[in-house]
Amino acid sequence: LIEEVSIDGM
Amino acid sequence: MTTLMADPMLAEAWTLSGSVALRPEPFGALAYHFGNRKLTFLKKQQLVDAVNALGDSKTVADALTRAGIPEAQWPAYVKALRGLATSDMILERKPS
Repeated sequence: LIEEVSIDGM
Repeated sequence: MTTLMADPMLAEAWTLSGSVALRPEPFGALAYHFGNRKLTFLKKQQLVDAVNALGDSKTVADALTRAGIPEAQWPAYVKALRGLATSDMILERKPS
C-alpha cells in the first residue's frame, strides 16, 4: 500500500 | 458483529507529521518528509483518506472507519501505517 523511494541517489 | 482489534495500534491516536507534505496523485498520494527527506508513495486513495483522517480521529480504527475501509482489510492498512510510522511520516499523539 506504500512504497518508499530513496532520493539521495539523485 | 466481529471486531478485529488485534493490533494495539488500532486503539492509539496518531496524526500526520507537520513536517510532511502530501501531494495528491492519480494513484493516491506522494508524501515527502522535509526533515528526513524521505519520499513515500501512498498507493491507495483509501489509505490517503485514512492518513488525512488520523488527526481528527480518536483512534486509528476510527480513521479507518471514516475512510470507508472494511474491517477485513484493516490488518493490511495497519501494516502500511506502521511503515509510515517507521519513517516518521505519522506520529503518535496523546488521545484527545
